[in-house]
Amino acid sequence: MRRLLIALMTLVMATPALADCPLDLGRGTGWVVFSDHYMIAFRPDPVRVEVGEPFALILNVCTKGGDPAELVAVEAQMPEHKHTMNYKPTIVASPDGRYRAEGLVFHMPGRWEISFDVRAGEESERLSHDIILK
Amino acid sequence: MIRLLLALVLAASAATATGASAQSLLDWTEEEVRSIGRHGPWPPPPVRDPSNRISGTPAGILLGEHLFNEPRLSGDGKMSCATCHQAGRDWSDGLAKAQGTVELDRRTPSLWNVGYSHWFGWDGAGDSLWAQSIRPLLDAREMNGGAPRVGALLRDDRAFACGYEKAFGAAPGRDDELLLVNAAKALAAFQATFVSPRTPFDDFRDALLAGDRDAAARYPLSAQRGLRLFIGDASCNACHFGPRFTNGEFGDVGIPFFVRPGEVDSGRLGGLTRLAESPFNLLGKFNDDTTGENARRTRHVRRLHTNFGEFRVPGLRQVGRGGPYMHNGSFATLEDVVKHYSEVNPDRLHSDGVPLVRPLALSTDQSADLVAFLRSLDADVPPRPAVPPLCP
Ligand SMILES: [Cu+2]
Repeated sequence: MRRLLIALMTLVMATPALADCPLDLGRGTGWVVFSDHYMIAFRPDPVRVEVGEPFALILNVCTKGGDPAELVAVEAQMPEHKHTMNYKPTIVASPDGRYRAEGLVFHMPGRWEISFDVRAGEESERLSHDIILK
Repeated sequence: MIRLLLALVLAASAATATGASAQSLLDWTEEEVRSIGRHGPWPPPPVRDPSNRISGTPAGILLGEHLFNEPRLSGDGKMSCATCHQAGRDWSDGLAKAQGTVELDRRTPSLWNVGYSHWFGWDGAGDSLWAQSIRPLLDAREMNGGAPRVGALLRDDRAFACGYEKAFGAAPGRDDELLLVNAAKALAAFQATFVSPRTPFDDFRDALLAGDRDAAARYPLSAQRGLRLFIGDASCNACHFGPRFTNGEFGDVGIPFFVRPGEVDSGRLGGLTRLAESPFNLLGKFNDDTTGENARRTRHVRRLHTNFGEFRVPGLRQVGRGGPYMHNGSFATLEDVVKHYSEVNPDRLHSDGVPLVRPLALSTDQSADLVAFLRSLDADVPPRPAVPPLCP
């Protein structure tokens, strides 16, 4: 826990662009994934993801250098079962700078790996995050 | 001394009591209890389909019941929905392959709990229960009815015209296509009331979650062992998930896809094509939900090459009362189905991915346990009351 806190604080201090990239998307729930260049904060809508029920993701995508970053694609798969979702999400950018990925359905319990393709200028990268659905 | 004796006797009787209960209740882990909890509660709240404005209304349900039993909706005046979906046969017909004007390639699916689905038909070509109900009305191999026939019946038959007005708040007009859709919406409202009764499994699940060990212990041990397999080593609940024991999606479980030499049933792949081409899908003008919320699956569903040879995952409530089994009726008994999953040849699977279906290599006892569990999802059904008249 303390390690995580220190990591987060270091992160906050090292990233001046964070003021424009709030990690809290409201409701006190959500996840943060980051690489050397990018940070993504996201939360599901509705907050509780249910097996077989459509949901959306609300996301903030930023570079650590403060450049605007673009969310290109959201995909999810079950690595153990080697299959993707049966649905293709669409991405809409809202005026407040957030993204909304609509039309996700996790149709089985188990481990799902969500991947995010992000881009800033010529640089693009894939970040991913695991969710275990029970 | 007497005290000590008393204490000993008490301790002994307590030991017997826990011993008896331990004997008839497996040692369920917290994780397992959570998994079991996901298969309830039962029954769910009544269906309310936002794409169908008469869903859940008494007048709509009654009109639907009369239409369901009405042979005049068919081309030769001999066939109704109830010809294949028989109340006394768990809303199916007991045949391996459905019998329309010709023998069809797939089995008549049971309609138990159909209102809670989101894809309909073995291939999911329907995205609402009412859209799915239009298909057999029009199909030349089935009822071969046609919109003008449905329109004429609703307009010209006094009882139906009156029942229609009660359900929709306006007399039937001249637009036959609209009357076809509205007849299907009444049929859907009726079918959505087919909710199967509570089962021995539901009593066990509720007792287990409530911590009532004595009540839970009444559930037979063989069914408990079968359930442990179902949610554990056999991973049946990856697809047969939730209160209805289906995730509502599609799978390829290694059933041969040739229907005749040189002819295949492409399953979900063909279903997605028909869904996209249908004027009655939820993206069309007949969807009563103006928010577009309920069309999310239709809007986002994607074609995958793995959809070839996939069929809808059926719910398992009342499964032991039905049969033959699988989309093409190729297995006569539940024992045959379990044997298939125990011995399935991985080379038979058409998709290159999903290693979910693999030979389970069950022992004789394990197979019997799994069948005992599946049979605990059955419940006796009370006789249906007589159908009240549309307009007394
Ligand atoms: Cu999976």
